[in-house]
Amino acid sequence: MTQSRYDAIVIGAGVNGLVTAHFLARAGRRVLVVEREPNANAALDVGWVPPQVVHELDLARQGLRITQPDPWIAAPLEGGGRLELWRDLDRSVEAIRRVSPADAAKWPDFCARMRKLATVLERLYVAPPPDIESRDPRELTRIAGLGLYVRRLGKQTVIDLARVLPMSIAELLDDWFESDALKGVLGAVGVWHLKQGPRSGGTAFNFLHHHVGNPIGVFRPPVSNIASVLLGLPGIEVRRGQEAMPVHGPDGHLTGVGLGPHGDTIEAPLVVTSADPRAAFEHVKPDLDPEFVRAIDNIKCRGVVAKGTLAWQGPTSFTNLCVAPSLEYLERAYDAAKYGRDSERPYVELRAEDGRIEVHVQYVPFRNGDSNAEHDRELRAAVVGVLAPHVPEIKAAESRLVLKSPDQLHLTEGHLYHGELTLDQILFMRPVPGWSRYRMPLQGLYLCGAGTHPGGGIAGAAGRNAARVILKETKRS
Amino acid sequence: MRYDAIVIGGGHNGLVTAAYLARAGKKVLVLERRPRVGGAAVTEEIFPGFKFSMFSYVVSLLRPEIIRDLDLPRHGLHILPLESTVTPMENGDYLAAWADHDETRRELYRHSPRDAEAYDEYGRLMHFMAQAVKPILSMVPPDPTSFAPGDLAGLLKLGKHFRGLGGERLHALVKLMTMSSADFLDEWFETDVLKATKSASGIIGTFLGPRSPGTAYVLLHHYMGELDGVFRAWGFAKGGTGAVSEAIASAARAFGAEIRCDAPVSRVTARSGTATGVVLENGDELAADIVVSSLDPRRTFLQLLEPDQLPPEFVADIRRFKFRGSSGKVNLALDGLPSFTCMPGVGRQHRGAFSISPSLDYVEHAYDDAKYGEFSRRPYMDIVFPSMIDPGMAPPGKHVMSIFVQYAPYHLNGGWTDAKREAFGDAVVNTVECFAPGFKSHILHRQVLTPLDIERITGLSEGNIFAGELALHQLFFLRPAPGWAKFTTPVRGFYQSGSGTHPGGGIMGASGRLAALRILKDGGGR
Repeated sequence: MTQSRYDAIVIGAGVNGLVTAHFLARAGRRVLVVEREPNANAALDVGWVPPQVVHELDLARQGLRITQPDPWIAAPLEGGGRLELWRDLDRSVEAIRRVSPADAAKWPDFCARMRKLATVLERLYVAPPPDIESRDPRELTRIAGLGLYVRRLGKQTVIDLARVLPMSIAELLDDWFESDALKGVLGAVGVWHLKQGPRSGGTAFNFLHHHVGNPIGVFRPPVSNIASVLLGLPGIEVRRGQEAMPVHGPDGHLTGVGLGPHGDTIEAPLVVTSADPRAAFEHVKPDLDPEFVRAIDNIKCRGVVAKGTLAWQGPTSFTNLCVAPSLEYLERAYDAAKYGRDSERPYVELRAEDGRIEVHVQYVPFRNGDSNAEHDRELRAAVVGVLAPHVPEIKAAESRLVLKSPDQLHLTEGHLYHGELTLDQILFMRPVPGWSRYRMPLQGLYLCGAGTHPGGGIAGAAGRNAARVILKETKRS
Repeated sequence: MRYDAIVIGGGHNGLVTAAYLARAGKKVLVLERRPRVGGAAVTEEIFPGFKFSMFSYVVSLLRPEIIRDLDLPRHGLHILPLESTVTPMENGDYLAAWADHDETRRELYRHSPRDAEAYDEYGRLMHFMAQAVKPILSMVPPDPTSFAPGDLAGLLKLGKHFRGLGGERLHALVKLMTMSSADFLDEWFETDVLKATKSASGIIGTFLGPRSPGTAYVLLHHYMGELDGVFRAWGFAKGGTGAVSEAIASAARAFGAEIRCDAPVSRVTARSGTATGVVLENGDELAADIVVSSLDPRRTFLQLLEPDQLPPEFVADIRRFKFRGSSGKVNLALDGLPSFTCMPGVGRQHRGAFSISPSLDYVEHAYDDAKYGEFSRRPYMDIVFPSMIDPGMAPPGKHVMSIFVQYAPYHLNGGWTDAKREAFGDAVVNTVECFAPGFKSHILHRQVLTPLDIERITGLSEGNIFAGELALHQLFFLRPAPGWAKFTTPVRGFYQSGSGTHPGGGIMGASGRLAALRILKDGGGR
């Protein structure tokens, strides 16, 4: 047997891939990371960074900065002015009072209830998903422990979990609030990266998913520079600008990764891919169990979000700006996507960073290649049309706005989360039922990306969970 | 006169409760507001000589143990099978499912060989899943928030039951509980019209479109009937759906129960937290040890009781319980049968259902209208001709046509008026006319029922045919409210037994039976 230079190859230098790579490297493995994109992305990473990742990789000392603007969101109001929500609950209450005194009175209670539910998810997210089929006493004990933990949080939390998770975000918010502006701001997170509208079941879960790791009363995930910190950490080798896929030899055993369609093979006994599951197995598919392949092909990952960047010098009148004036606005935006069209008036959210504005546009459905320069122009015009009344200076900058619709994202159906976070695609159902523990049905092959539990929008949790499983399962003699 | 138990509401669940209590030797009185028993399961001669199953029109979910325990065939229950479903398509073609399995396969093959292959496997899975869920229908839901030994044992039993299904089927169950019917069917089939027709059973009674998560469960809920009982299919009761209620009422009377019609109840009386009887609208007071309401949760708790008789958080939960009626009904008397373009003439197709669900987008568009407070301009419809199967429903040579329509939102923009009702009726017949030109000339009489009409006549809040939406967060231990899903109520001696309790809607009778068993277990009054 030939000795390979690497113990493990990680495909993809996104946050999850890098986290896995560093955990493996810390355990003494020789790790190579192969990344398709020649240059690192300049934008910050959105999502909760679990404290376990920060602590165990000692990221705080390497310059990790996690920021959350204050106010964490600003939403233009119909009659002029903005609804601004703050980290400070009382300050938010004051702001909400101007649109609805009744809603202001409920805000602290709502925030406390949601925070408690998010706590449950946080606990679920920093470990592999519970294996409900397991007969292993240790796993059963863990599941029982989880159950006990939830029940200790109180009767109301158990009821809320059962009742809220399958709900639509519209129903949840209508139960609490009356202000369209407030419901629009909150409802928007409920549909993030889903081809669903706020009235679709399961969007309340998606809302909570994005509340995970946030302080009470903040319903937008933080941003961090975690990817660049991880890239700067020593201990791993990163090769850029090369597309890699797991490959196997004639005997069906995993041999390593192949570079490009006809390129060289880099050998390694262990391959961990953070690619999206539907694209990750292209070269080894014929040797995988057809039922597994069918399940993989059935993963719903219908991209609906266009990402944009606008180079911007000078001050902005906002840090986070959300244009989703009501739940009905969001629902109507979704209607178009159901029939394969872009929203005429999309939900748009802006985030100002150093020298740039990051743009989230929803819904822009994947068109399977049927996208062209004219579509780009129309999309840009729609976005500017929605923003112009609130951010007049955007008009002059229209030509600088670079939007990437799902077709331009080099992901299966352009889905940034590698699979929608719907209730049938989370926990032990993610990425596919029966294969939620990061190990794939080919000896030595693992998944560690957003397509696995706990999914997109969380920085490094999947990567850390995967690494822990890998280290346990591939102990060296 | 003192009764062991008074049952409020003579719908099928109230009657089932009464029959089981009487069977156990209790002295039972049923009080029905209308002149006839049945609630939403009634047969009425709306136009002279033309009898209609006015609201609920097909039977299949009725629990076999109830048919057996109450010996319903002896009391006149006779189910006639519904033989086929034909979906006319916009291009003039059709998709048909026939009673004969091979014929259905050949028909599917014509549309897609792949789907014909998948069809049997899909049928097997759904059959199995329905089997797997059935025990839950006959089970009192354990309360996961409770530490009582009974609840813990119930949860453990449930956990064991599900794990016993094995991985693949457990996953399928999770998918059915959480997905949209369109997504679920997408994993199996490619033919749009097939997916549209199948997904339609996932939207019935809900305020959701086929692409909304949660509808796959309703799909399964409706599948359960397809394997139950003797007939293993959807069917008509001979004499209309009212005959089901009459058979249960007859069984109840045979066990000694008294049934009083035209006897609306105004409220339930209670003394120091214990029910003592009821007061009728005419002022009469009746005493009983046990009072059971088979009305929906909103009427049971917010109308029959005063708010101060209930804990405030319970009242809040009941107020939050969603009804949002979304279905209407059009009953037509015809002087001849319509000929559908896709399958011209009159034939065996009229002995089955016509499903107006030509594509997923069609059904989804129908939902879009309702979402924004309008009735569907081109609605989804389930059409049957009961007189083709039971000639007694119409005069010789004439026919009755029953059209179940979705969506007709209870909360219509501007509210329902006579003019809106007729406009809704017009939208229905005009849409049918598109698929069966000339059909309108056969119409002798027309009855249009909006959700508001359903509410006014049957009492079902917001006209919801399931007495509360069958949404995931309103099922099992959450139906109708957390902590109160075991047929008891915060008032001692006052029980609930309607479809708004577990396991919910359809002419199933399971709620009524489980409630009766619970009452008997608690001592049943004496």
